Amino acid sequence: MTAPAIIAEHLARSFGSTRALVDVSLEVEAGTVCALLGRNGAGKTTAVRVLTTLLPAHGGRARVAGFDVTDDAPQVRARIGVTGQTATMDELLTGVENLETIGRFCHLGAAASRRRAQELLQQFDLIDASRQLVKRYSGGMRRRLDLAASLIHDPQVLFLDEPTTGLDPVSRADMWASIRSLVAGGTTVLLTTQYLDEADRLADTIVVIDRGLVVAMGTPEQLKASIGRPFIRVTLPEADPAVVERVRRLLGEEAEVSGRSISAPAPRGLVTLEEVVAELREMGVPVHEVGLEHPSLDEVFRTVTDHSEPPEGAVTITAVGA
Amino acid sequence: MSQTVARAERRLLGGVLDAYTATRRFVIRGKRQPDVIFGSLITPVIFVVLFGYVFGSSISVPGGNYRSYLMPGLFAMTVLFSAANVAVAVATDMSEGVVDRFRTLPIARSAIVIGRSLSSLLLGIPVLLVMIACGLAVGWRADNGLGNAVLALLLFELFGFAIGWLGVLVGLLAGSAQAADVIINIPIFLMGFISSVFVDPSKMPAWLRVIANWNPMSALVTAGRQLFGNTIGSPPSGVWSLEHPIATTVALTILIILVVAPICVRLYSHSTR
Repeated sequence: MTAPAIIAEHLARSFGSTRALVDVSLEVEAGTVCALLGRNGAGKTTAVRVLTTLLPAHGGRARVAGFDVTDDAPQVRARIGVTGQTATMDELLTGVENLETIGRFCHLGAAASRRRAQELLQQFDLIDASRQLVKRYSGGMRRRLDLAASLIHDPQVLFLDEPTTGLDPVSRADMWASIRSLVAGGTTVLLTTQYLDEADRLADTIVVIDRGLVVAMGTPEQLKASIGRPFIRVTLPEADPAVVERVRRLLGEEAEVSGRSISAPAPRGLVTLEEVVAELREMGVPVHEVGLEHPSLDEVFRTVTDHSEPPEGAVTITAVGA
Repeated sequence: MSQTVARAERRLLGGVLDAYTATRRFVIRGKRQPDVIFGSLITPVIFVVLFGYVFGSSISVPGGNYRSYLMPGLFAMTVLFSAANVAVAVATDMSEGVVDRFRTLPIARSAIVIGRSLSSLLLGIPVLLVMIACGLAVGWRADNGLGNAVLALLLFELFGFAIGWLGVLVGLLAGSAQAADVIINIPIFLMGFISSVFVDPSKMPAWLRVIANWNPMSALVTAGRQLFGNTIGSPPSGVWSLEHPIATTVALTILIILVVAPICVRLYSHSTR
């Protein structure tokens, strides 16, 4: 087995009195995807900046691609690709000029830089726009160009800070596809995201951070299992106590009433939903909405940051009008 | 031992290559900003009209034409003002993600800032040419031979390179492009006007005169007047810096570079914005 591509041990970093990173340790195996999941301000970007040699840590150590990020920063830089949250391409240069400049900075030489730029523009579907100034690029094109720029020197480890934030659904799907194909080619990826579904789709391991601390870590399956079960929620047109009571009984012992809506665990998910809808129809109860609810990212945070009671379901995934 | 030398050589070569790449990038960028180009090229014309005619009409220099006296000063002002462009450009770069991109690449730490000041020098050449044309149009002549004229222009460019570093410094320290613009104008105006660029410092109050005499701009302009053969009026006497203006300019210029450039490189590589 090879050594992990990223090892962070007890990283800490403050900005004045703000402790952006309190204690972050993580390991990412070579050739896998790790998602750093957290809210705005959780410390995701700071962690990435420390791991990419942009920011010195105040405590702890980290090794990336086998080199210490503080002592061997140049060696680390030669082996990593970084795509930050803000666009880093020069607006006044064309796509191809931007990539060639980066290639020259990586000492590929003029000819090889040109060749590599063409390859990447092809790969990221930017060949038609390659001679246009970047200021004419759409948001999705800029992100793709940025990602392409991070790949000029075939990095072993790729850092993507919120690669899809602000992208439309199509561009987001494109970005996911690009990331998957990179990983298939053997690149190790550490990405940050605020979206559970993104982490779920892309990551082999998820590290949840909150207020500079790692609060949960595991595969997407492990993490979801720890959060809890889906819930069913029935919302009635009005809070008629008799009807509410009938529905409460239908939904079982664990059902909870809140105004005109009644919710209960739905261990079998859609099967439970179908059964309940059928029963309600049979009972002739008029229903405003019936839906299956899954734990949201908020729930993940509440679960992993609050060590007392695991909370229960929230965001509605489907809604059946009646 | 020889291995260490080879490695050092490779590093140096890599650094030169990086500086070249950076300069190339900034020059391409510069050429794509027609509004900035227009502004920079029109400035010399305005200078000549403003100082040559608006003020110049009320200023007389003994035994000659004020506009001939003025032109070397305006060359110096042109290179001085280029520092403002550098400061704004550096501050803009620093506030954008592009700096992070550069700093995660395995490039020499000094390359970007060297590229910035070198490119400002290159982009300043057309401006200087326009200034020469304006000067010729209003009757200014380089009467001291082509060799000396070229030497004078090289001296202006050398000073422009040094002052470009001051622009880089301000750009790195300022929190925004706007702040950089405001701050850089302070040294520009002080250096430009407390000097022999527009008037003879000998009539200034004593404390101001000392500053003016040792202002590198005064040495530069005096050197320019000597090399262009525009020495009108009594030659400066009793002030070492102005009696040896070329040596003073070169020395002060190198001093500025030696002090400011390392600070810039340090600031740039440790900046965490």
